[in-house]
Amino acid sequence: MTEPILQARNIVKRYGRFTAVNGVSIDVLPHTVHSVIGPNGAGKTTLFHALTGTVPLTSGQILVDGVDISALPGFKRVRTGLARSFQVTSLFPNLTVLENLRLAAQGVDAVQAFHPWRRPESFKAACETAASLAERLNLTLVRSRLAGELSHGQQRRLEVGMALAARPKVIFLDEPTSGMGVDDIGDMKQLIFSLRSDYTVVLIEHNMDIVMDISDTITVMQLGQVLVEGAPDAVRCDDRVRSAYLGSMITGGRK
Amino acid sequence: MNASFLCQYRHLAMAVATVVVLPLVLTSGSLATEVLIFALAALGCNLLLGYTGLMSFGQGIFLGLGSYAAGLALLHLRIPLIAVLPLAMIVGALAAALVGWFSIRQRGTYFVMLTLAFAQMFYFLAYTLRDITGGDNGLLDIPRPPLEILGQRLLPTAGPWEYYTLVAVVFVVVFWVLQRIVDSILGRTLLAVRDNEARAAAAGYDVRMLKLIAFMISGAITGLAGALHAMLTGIAPLSNIEYGTSESILIMTVIGGTGKLFASVLGAGFYVLVGDWLSTLWPRWLMLLGMLLIAVSLFMQKGLWGVGTGLLQRVRRQGRADDTATQRSAAYD
Repeated sequence: MTEPILQARNIVKRYGRFTAVNGVSIDVLPHTVHSVIGPNGAGKTTLFHALTGTVPLTSGQILVDGVDISALPGFKRVRTGLARSFQVTSLFPNLTVLENLRLAAQGVDAVQAFHPWRRPESFKAACETAASLAERLNLTLVRSRLAGELSHGQQRRLEVGMALAARPKVIFLDEPTSGMGVDDIGDMKQLIFSLRSDYTVVLIEHNMDIVMDISDTITVMQLGQVLVEGAPDAVRCDDRVRSAYLGSMITGGRK
Repeated sequence: MNASFLCQYRHLAMAVATVVVLPLVLTSGSLATEVLIFALAALGCNLLLGYTGLMSFGQGIFLGLGSYAAGLALLHLRIPLIAVLPLAMIVGALAAALVGWFSIRQRGTYFVMLTLAFAQMFYFLAYTLRDITGGDNGLLDIPRPPLEILGQRLLPTAGPWEYYTLVAVVFVVVFWVLQRIVDSILGRTLLAVRDNEARAAAAGYDVRMLKLIAFMISGAITGLAGALHAMLTGIAPLSNIEYGTSESILIMTVIGGTGKLFASVLGAGFYVLVGDWLSTLWPRWLMLLGMLLIAVSLFMQKGLWGVGTGLLQRVRRQGRADDTATQRSAAYD
């Protein structure tokens, strides 16, 4: 059995007296798509925030490739191989598409960012990563446009690209299809599925078609805790999941 | 190569042009010098406001401390001019490190309030320590030594235009360095911090450290401006470290326009020259400036720089339209 690339042990996140995530443990295997689903308010996004360091942990332990990163602030976790996209698009709106990607690519080697003299163009690797990602995300035509001027679908693709640019081991995608049109969703699904060969994907997604089709493992959360974890078919047939809240949404009405 | 080189350094070219043009249009050397000194201070402020997204009400601290540092060094230590300038920069940078270290822990309104609180604190500190700063009177009779390296006299500074030459050289060098910094990896990463802090952190950047570095660079430049100002006027007055100085620097920066280097030179030039001219006509001229600031905030947020580029574009478009018109009429002929 392969070792998990990401292990989270008893993750707890409290905001004041409210416990958003209450003792969640998940193991993510390398080169898989691991989805986290659950109703609104189940604590999925908070779990993402806690794992990627956007908010500090209340308690618990996070291991990446066996190394404990729980105490590192978010920006340092990028260097250990974690990268994320946001549910609400979070780009550099007044910078160009290429510059957005270049900055994201350069972030892994963030010490470079303090170079007060060297020009960014001389930092070849990041520029090449940015150019190739723009192509992969089908953003080459708009690469010189400001990120804030892009259409919603393009912005969502760029949002995913920002996470990819860091060449992470584990990539966290928080509802990459949110607000997307039907046509774009199919492309996004293909893109996420194709990521499996190079990365490990942890995905929050409300679109059950996508989740059921491309996930290797699904963790179902409810009220800050793990309700069920398993392969898509097992989750689809699980009585607890059905009776709890997903109902026909998950089975698509089929019995 | 030449075209891109020119494009890269067009702001520097404009700065050099300013240095050359000022003596041709102004009769007072000290007024011209003052323009360049406040342009330096505004550049330091622009690095924070326009490139990092930090609105600091504490720039007067660094200017005042630069003045005091230069005054004390020249009065008591009699060190050469070439050493006074780096000293003022170090003092400015260290003060900025202190103010920044506390202030950048907060964002938005609280950040602004913290810089404001530090400005008040440093003012009262300078006011209280009258043995060192001269309190209300400030430091008087600060000498202005000539520029010497190893006993070699490079530049006299006694006359106003002679001193202007020294300040002009310093100004151009600082402008060039700043141009390199904002075009560097650091500068471009600061823009990312300005645009979206949360994303910059998620991309792996130490946002606090980046802000602190921007603060220190800004403090160093502003401290340098303070030292040059002390040598210009021969005094280091309490008013240099007053809140009003912070405010003036901010106003120059905003009126000029943020996020473009030369805009700060425009803003400072406008503020100093118009102020000088209006104050002879009407002692309450600051009221007019207030109206201008309202106009800038409401209608021209890119400042004088934005107005200038807008006009230039219109002229160009008109030129192009004229061209096509003549071509068309030529074709009909």
